[in-house]
Amino acid sequence: MRRRRWPLLSLLAFGYAFLYVPILLLIVYSFNESRLVTVWSGFSIKWYRELLHNQQLLEAAWLSVRIAAVNATLAVVLGTLAANALVRHGRFRGRNAFELLLTAPLVMPDVIIGLSMLLLFVAMQHGLGWPDGRGFTTIAIAHITFSTAYVAVVVRTRLAQMDASLEEAAMDLGARPLTVYLRITLPLIAPALLSGWLLAFTLSLDDLVIASFVSGPGSTTLPMVVYSSVRMGVSPQINALATLIVAVVTLAVIIAGVTSLRGSRTQRRR
Amino acid sequence: MPIALDRRNLDTWQDPKATPYVRIERVSKRFGEHHAVEDLSLDIFKGEFFSLLGSSGCGKSTLLRMLAGLEYPTAGRIYIDGVDVTDVPPYSRPVNMMFQSYALFPHMTVAQNIEFGLKQERLGRGERAERVDEMLELLRIAELRRRKPEQLSGGQRQRVALARSLAKHPKLLLLDEPLGALDKRLRENTQFELVNLQERLGITFITVTHDQEEAMTMSTRIAVMDAGQIMQVDTPTAIYEYPSCRFVAEFIGSINQFEGKVVESDGDQLLIETRLGRPMRVRNFHPLALGTPVTLAVRPEKMRLCLDYREDGVNQLRGVVEDIAYLGDVSIYRLRVEGQRVEMTLTNTQPRTEQVLTWDQEVAIEWSPTSAVVLTE
Repeated sequence: MRRRRWPLLSLLAFGYAFLYVPILLLIVYSFNESRLVTVWSGFSIKWYRELLHNQQLLEAAWLSVRIAAVNATLAVVLGTLAANALVRHGRFRGRNAFELLLTAPLVMPDVIIGLSMLLLFVAMQHGLGWPDGRGFTTIAIAHITFSTAYVAVVVRTRLAQMDASLEEAAMDLGARPLTVYLRITLPLIAPALLSGWLLAFTLSLDDLVIASFVSGPGSTTLPMVVYSSVRMGVSPQINALATLIVAVVTLAVIIAGVTSLRGSRTQRRR
Repeated sequence: MPIALDRRNLDTWQDPKATPYVRIERVSKRFGEHHAVEDLSLDIFKGEFFSLLGSSGCGKSTLLRMLAGLEYPTAGRIYIDGVDVTDVPPYSRPVNMMFQSYALFPHMTVAQNIEFGLKQERLGRGERAERVDEMLELLRIAELRRRKPEQLSGGQRQRVALARSLAKHPKLLLLDEPLGALDKRLRENTQFELVNLQERLGITFITVTHDQEEAMTMSTRIAVMDAGQIMQVDTPTAIYEYPSCRFVAEFIGSINQFEGKVVESDGDQLLIETRLGRPMRVRNFHPLALGTPVTLAVRPEKMRLCLDYREDGVNQLRGVVEDIAYLGDVSIYRLRVEGQRVEMTLTNTQPRTEQVLTWDQEVAIEWSPTSAVVLTE
């Protein structure tokens, strides 16, 4: 009997549609000539031109990218250290508590993280005189606190899968612990560090709630600008900006895919 | 049984003046409540191919890891070449190890894997390249030098792991189940190769294995371990022919055991009364008092068919064939003798169809007094 394929295929089509039709609409309407987002009146790239002159939006985007990069980098460092402690240091005292406290931010509501960070920063400013006001630094710190948890989970999985005898073999061959870490462990968990970095970057770029709590005057992140301008009525400039971001992300994914594919192919050929 | 390789001029352990190369002195290792190694002492001499043999969990791997410095003893000292290395970290020991999983670095080529240890020694580039070439040649894997570990077969990986652990010219090489991951044919060839390599390089080898054949074929001496302790240390021949206790006798090969007691002492021979009917005669070197409870142990291949059976013949018995297991080169016969089960191995000198022994047949068997051993524990 021939298997009927249309039920499965239509299910697949529905799934893709569910995920990507909204993004597709967004892209299409970024080329809309009309000021009204929901009415098509002809093709135009005028919103892209206007976007280039929208100083506020561009500054916000640049700030967000900087925060995301700093956040991702520091979160990878801290998260990797935490993952190392969990995987490589056996059953130390307080390990269970450490594990619980490390991963708690994963399930903590953003509102609570944001509010508690705000209270902390205000108290610190009073008591220590630092941070002086709120802005780039406070947003980055707040983002690092929860991004670290995500990175730790990703890196930990990879570390646990790694054969511990590789590190022992390196030590047996005369490598001191630091050399072992730099020459053996790090290269082997590098993919996890990269995906941890990208994850942290995205989480930060994406965050509206926490940033709203801990930002100050003059430090408005991209999601905050988008959110407030949408409340005034959606400008197609936002569509244009979103389209650009999607394009950059797609390009990055394609480049990453191609390089890794090429890498594995050359390996097979040898 | 496997052929023990001929090893001439390698009996340093019998020289009372020789100083041991590796000295393990009353070492214990506990993991929480679990005693992995318990008050263990052992001397290993230069140039030996020494095997730690035991079933899994007997502590042999823990002992090897303590020699490598990957575990530290809870008590006791370890000396290598006269130096107390008990607290020396693994990267400062004159010892290298070949891991059971081979532990090849997946992100490096074969040549880079071999070079890794040399880089840590801060050897110059030229010398490193020379040494890598030497190792590739020694193990005949020059054509693999640019490959990554994932592109190698199991046998090739084993050679690369061996090359890497030999590259630093260690004085002592530790091998954790060196042939464990290879299939049977490859394993047999590699056994001979390992022994040749060891003799050529003059390095002391200590290997851990659960495979008695492997230990018998390759070793100068074997330590049979159980529950964190050494049951017997001796040459493969002595371990097989003269086991010191029932555990060793049962662990290596198969053996018939008859419980009984000493009833008569006659020069270097004893008469042992067992449930086999008549008293059995056996040669024994240690004086035993009359009435001592002992176990008489006879290997199946030490028995032979008896052609001149007499009621008063020495070590002669009558039985019935209950089972025959045909293994090609030999057959194992399960006999019932005086209500006891006795195993006998005979070489199949004729095709099976021509053989005289068959099921339910009555047979007479015998063995020489020098072929059996008396076990007291």
